[in-house]
Amino acid sequence: MLKIQPAELKVIAQYIHDISGIYLDQSKSYLFETRLSSIAEEHGCNSYQELYQKARKDAGKKIERQIIDAISTNETLFFRDNGPFELLKHKLLPEMIDLRTPNSPRLKTNIKIWSAASSTGQELYSVAMVIKDLVGNQMDQFNFKLLGTDISDSAVKQASYGKYNKFEIERGLPRQTLQKYFTLFGDSWKVKDELRAMVNFRKLNLMLPFAGLGKFDIILCRNVAIYFTLADRKKLFNKLADSLTDDGFLLIGSTESLTGICPRFVPKRHLRAIFYQKKN
Amino acid sequence: MNNLTILVIDDDPVIRRLLEQRLLKEKYKVLLAEDGYVGNETLANNHVDVVLTDLMMPGDIGGIEVLEFAKGLERNIEVILITAHSSINTAVEAMKKGASDYLEKPINFTELFLRLEKISTMRGLVRNAEDLRQAMDVTEGTAAETIQNLEITAASLQSHIDSIENIANNHEIDFDERVALILKDIQSIH
Repeated sequence: MLKIQPAELKVIAQYIHDISGIYLDQSKSYLFETRLSSIAEEHGCNSYQELYQKARKDAGKKIERQIIDAISTNETLFFRDNGPFELLKHKLLPEMIDLRTPNSPRLKTNIKIWSAASSTGQELYSVAMVIKDLVGNQMDQFNFKLLGTDISDSAVKQASYGKYNKFEIERGLPRQTLQKYFTLFGDSWKVKDELRAMVNFRKLNLMLPFAGLGKFDIILCRNVAIYFTLADRKKLFNKLADSLTDDGFLLIGSTESLTGICPRFVPKRHLRAIFYQKKN
Repeated sequence: MNNLTILVIDDDPVIRRLLEQRLLKEKYKVLLAEDGYVGNETLANNHVDVVLTDLMMPGDIGGIEVLEFAKGLERNIEVILITAHSSINTAVEAMKKGASDYLEKPINFTELFLRLEKISTMRGLVRNAEDLRQAMDVTEGTAAETIQNLEITAASLQSHIDSIENIANNHEIDFDERVALILKDIQSIH
């Protein structure tokens, strides 16, 4: 494996931060080596400095995309940490449905949900499954818009395609749910079209402005800010507050905290989970 | 002791016996079935890690049907098909349906043992990953509880600070009364 030189660490760490917002601890050189050495080799580079220069000059940004794919962590599961999904099912979605149901029965209930770091899609599909189970055969009275965004091209591609191998599927997904929402596809499982039709995935770097996406009623931004610096985390949650409707709900990772990060949000506890709302 | 249990399904008693002897010699646990019916029954009633089945067998249940039955039963079962050269295309089709591999007759045992070793290693790695994930889940759960308690406490303290600040800055109330209100607020924290 190509060794990273101490002098290269700062340059590469800064570059990764610039393109992705991800902050890699420079004292952990193995993090850089295990994730980037094969890309360096593929492009015939003898050093990480050379890889950096090639990536900067690469007009098609192929190397940049490869680096982002390698650096971003795609550890995710269907119904990862059940708490937030129970919370959605029993509190947040029913409350939001009440809030958004129009007086006229002829009008549909519009609800927008955003999974801000959707990785390979499991989180957003889990939300879609919760919605389906909750709403049942009254789906035509609703207009749910479910958006998933991620910085990694390959993650977005897999999410859109909705195909998962048996290792990705096994944990977290009860057999009954699997059979209801997936079809066997060779040795893998594919999300059924009725669920895929509810969601949309696209590439987004959370470090860049995203006001153009509009406002959302529920935002999930779980286990992504942990890879950012404190300053970047503050900026991110401030922007998320702008993107959340005044009565909307924010969900973050179960081991994350917004104390000292964004005073615009207040935590609220329900059952064994926490969600955030904007301060009045 | 090798930890994989292998079910051999073949209508040819000679091949069955040969496979049994060679697998036992390598310390695998072996179950035998003489056709697809018995094979599926054995699968339904026993824990099996790997099915080694002939592709073509008399009766309605051939290797493909065994494969489908096994996959429907337990997603973790690995199925290796034994095939004559002439049925390779069918074996390739079977791979698309989730078979792990196929072996051509006559069976090359070195090849077979390599495949089984690969399956064994893979299972070990998967188990390790599962153990790690479980450990992570426990750690994450404990940390989450602590962090959530702190988060709620911090938010409640913040609201007290805000209220104290409001009282302190409220010059419509006289000084002594403000001090009393602030003290009352502080006491309510406990």
